[in-house]
Amino acid sequence: MHDARDAEDQRLLEAGEHSALVESYYGVIIRRCQAKVRYGDPIDVAHDVVVRLLAELKRGRRYRVPFRVVVHQVIGWKINEHFAGAKLREVELEEWMHEASTDGTAPLEELLAGQGFEALLEGLTELERQVVTLRYNDDLDFGEIAERLGKEPNAVHQIHYRALAKLRRSAA
Amino acid sequence: MSEPTVERLFDEFARAYLRGESPDVPAYLERAGSGRDDLGELIDRFLQAVPAQPATEEEIVLMQSRLEQEPPLLVLRRRRGLSRAAVVDALVSTLGLDRKKRDKVAGYYHELEIGLLDPKPVSAKVWTALGEFLQANVRLLAGLRPPPLGVAKPHYRRADRDLGALYSIEEVRTFVFDTKIESVFSPVPAEPPPVRDEIDELFTGVS
Repeated sequence: MHDARDAEDQRLLEAGEHSALVESYYGVIIRRCQAKVRYGDPIDVAHDVVVRLLAELKRGRRYRVPFRVVVHQVIGWKINEHFAGAKLREVELEEWMHEASTDGTAPLEELLAGQGFEALLEGLTELERQVVTLRYNDDLDFGEIAERLGKEPNAVHQIHYRALAKLRRSAA
Repeated sequence: MSEPTVERLFDEFARAYLRGESPDVPAYLERAGSGRDDLGELIDRFLQAVPAQPATEEEIVLMQSRLEQEPPLLVLRRRRGLSRAAVVDALVSTLGLDRKKRDKVAGYYHELEIGLLDPKPVSAKVWTALGEFLQANVRLLAGLRPPPLGVAKPHYRRADRDLGALYSIEEVRTFVFDTKIESVFSPVPAEPPPVRDEIDELFTGVS
């Protein structure tokens, strides 16, 4: 699902086109900040994310994870910082990746899975996973999903609603 | 009317995003009413899970304007490689205005671009003309004027009235610069306002 985007990110990284790389993430950075920041200006938080990413790239960092993982991690940090109301200790990305890969609690593969579509499916039954995947990964409408799964459209609606309600509860 | 469910709003948002549209997160959160926090969490999880859509021109301009501490319209014009004179000429021509009043249009556009002119009363005709020429949602960008110099928006207390009332810097500026001295200190009635023309109406609303 992320392959094409990751390949383009890698190309921009290797070409040293850092501004274009970060710029291509402005939309998701702004939207995630708008979704999570309830008090104050989300664009201020988005601005801090961009500044941090540009600073990282300027230092010539090489990442063992796709750049999108770095982007989402920095967004998470900056949103947490916003909620804490203070500048938190700046975790070095290398330090974070080292911890993630060696302390046994969050190996790199797990970290990658936590950032992909799989993360959205956590806690769902197999059938719910199928419906959510077909809806949001394969972009199918309910009729098509029903046909694919050999179920009635109404049943698919219910499974879909139940899956989102579960995700909503787990997110809350 | 009852609030739309969080699940329905999320589905609508996610489908629009996957179609390559730019669904407006604050508008969705607003519609969710008491479910706004839950919807925000779901949207956040979804955005981490799916490939990021390319940023829109407006998002790029907005963020660049924050980074460069410059008004969004100025950043947009520079991205287009256009001079201010070219934009003013396009406005005069598209809106069919009297070329002799070009300087007046230039003055208003300059104020609009640097964030000194309130964009709310500006006519839809101006936004359409600017949008066509600058190829972006100019009205949206003009409404996103950043706080001056990247500092927290300062507020001042006005001591002569309600001590609890807070005034933004724009209100203070309006009070200090736009209030005629004679209207405050002199019993002589202020001069009648100058006759408004079509250009005033386009940029500051119909009188």
